[in-house]
Amino acid sequence: MADPALATRAVDEQPPRPGDQHWYDLPDDDAEPEEEPEPVVPAPRREWRPEWRSGVGRLVHRWSAVALLLALWEALPRLGVVDRVFVPPLSDDLAAGYDLLVTGQLGEHLGASLLRSLAGFALAVALAIPLGLAIGRYRPVADFLSPVLELFRNTSAVALLPVFTLLLGIGETTKITFVLYACSWPILLNTISGVRTVEPLLVKSARSMGLGPARLFQKVILPAAVPAIFTGVRLAGAYSILVLLFAEMVGAKAGLGYLIQASQSSFRIHDMYAGIIAISAVGLTFNQLLVIVERRFSTWRTSS
Amino acid sequence: MTLAPGRADTKISIRGVTKTFQARGAGRPFTALDRIDLDIRGGEFLTLVGPSGCGKSTLLDLVAGLTTPTSGQIVIDGTPVTGPGLDRGIVFQQYALFPWRTAAGNVEFGLEAKGVARRERAELARHHLALVGLTGFEDRYPHELSGGMRQRVAIARSLAFDPDVLLMDEPFAALDAQTRESLQEELLRIWERTGKTIVFITHGIDEAVYLGQRVAVMTSRPGRIKEVVAVAFDSREGDLRADRRFGEYRHHIWTTLRDEVAAARREEATPVG
Ligand SMILES: Nc1ncnc2c1ncn2[C@@H]1O[C@H](COP(=O)(O)OP(=O)(O)OP(=O)(O)O)[C@@H](O)[C@H]1O
Ligand SMILES: [Mg+2]
Repeated sequence: MADPALATRAVDEQPPRPGDQHWYDLPDDDAEPEEEPEPVVPAPRREWRPEWRSGVGRLVHRWSAVALLLALWEALPRLGVVDRVFVPPLSDDLAAGYDLLVTGQLGEHLGASLLRSLAGFALAVALAIPLGLAIGRYRPVADFLSPVLELFRNTSAVALLPVFTLLLGIGETTKITFVLYACSWPILLNTISGVRTVEPLLVKSARSMGLGPARLFQKVILPAAVPAIFTGVRLAGAYSILVLLFAEMVGAKAGLGYLIQASQSSFRIHDMYAGIIAISAVGLTFNQLLVIVERRFSTWRTSS
Repeated sequence: MTLAPGRADTKISIRGVTKTFQARGAGRPFTALDRIDLDIRGGEFLTLVGPSGCGKSTLLDLVAGLTTPTSGQIVIDGTPVTGPGLDRGIVFQQYALFPWRTAAGNVEFGLEAKGVARRERAELARHHLALVGLTGFEDRYPHELSGGMRQRVAIARSLAFDPDVLLMDEPFAALDAQTRESLQEELLRIWERTGKTIVFITHGIDEAVYLGQRVAVMTSRPGRIKEVVAVAFDSREGDLRADRRFGEYRHHIWTTLRDEVAAARREEATPVG
């Protein structure tokens, strides 16, 4: 499905083309060959039992490694293979997490974190997609900006946190802006690349039916770029939690990052692990939600 | 039997059309088409053959208005071509279907561009998909269709907005022999019924003779019109390919092309500028 590698090869350079050729006038030799013809008639449904079985089998197979990991986490401290003080058994950590949940502390930290990362993420989506579309649409703009974009992309957002703190203080604004900043790059670069790498033959085909630049953009370039945009959005979803956590560990009074950091320094090791478990659950859920949304928007892609 | 210029029934008039490309990395421009003269009658089925790289697709792009000639002029119905338009429909070799649209959605694309109302669009899409034998496949996405079916969707798409002229670039090249033959039959039926003017590029001499009323043969680079062969059968009934005259036309065009293909090979072996 989505290809994370897209993020790193965004804004592909194409050699300049001479004459009256616009960038979407590339000869159709550049077009990717269509895949082999596929069977026409839908294959008769197989018997439901083997299918069901293999479905469950896949599920078991997929999760068995996770189960194994959790089992080791439980067993190794209990057997004394690792020090219980530093790595308490899973059940102890979960119990601590439950206590935090009941006292409302976990909810408080979780809420603070979610608010920040969702706000930053949503702002990034709202700003970076239109910006990427605008940049990708105008080749000269894209050419002009791409060295700068390249520079920023290769500067880790984390390295810039001190700058943000310097400029904006240590309040909520800083954290949301920081998340916004980090999330914008994958969305921006993937959107630009999605717009720029639209199959030229499709553009040619639409132009042959008399579509002007505006309709062409709306009816061809935009829908063709949707999968690439979603790849960016999904990466941004992961970043939003990742970088926020970092910001919260460095300077915050609430949030999961703060919880993890504070628990560690006051030697509440169970709470620290509870925080870690909570954050990975959040990340997993968020990613899963984005995958579902992505599927809804790209039913036309060959499912694989 | 090239038509005299300005004849009343001339639909497309190509007059001294030259197309050069500026090769990447300077050098002198590369001439793809050299002073092409060709008249196509209204309602005519013209096939175009020529060695690979001789400029057939380039010529089609020019007639479509997707690119402009370096010199010369193309006139359709007395009006010079200045850009693409819905009076001409193109079927590209690689189908060029929009993968995010269903078969019906693809067929409706040109109709949307034409400003046809939604309900009528759906009706026309269904009708034209039926015309190419794709009833029941309206809601399939291109990746759920076979190659031949995709090509038929592309044909239905260009028929649906009812252009006077159909420009087809090796539309059947990627298909197996059986599918190709049945699509050839379908195309002839549609042509006879609708009276559209069709320009059809092909690599197949059989296909050119079978489909075309005239076969235009192009020279290798730079592309010129070498000869226009009028194909006439006493009757199109029965198996045309078994006709004695079919073999004669076929042989004649084959011989004409052979020299050009050989010339093209030589040129490729010793690349210039
Ligand atoms: N945009 C372009 N820029 C530079 N050269 C081009 C361009 N388009 C086509 N050419 C050149 O013009 C020549 C004719 O190309 P064209 O695609 O028209 O050939 P063709 O007759 O359709 O060949 P084929 O039968 O293989 O499809 C080729 O030598 C090609 O390299
Ligand atoms: Mg070609």
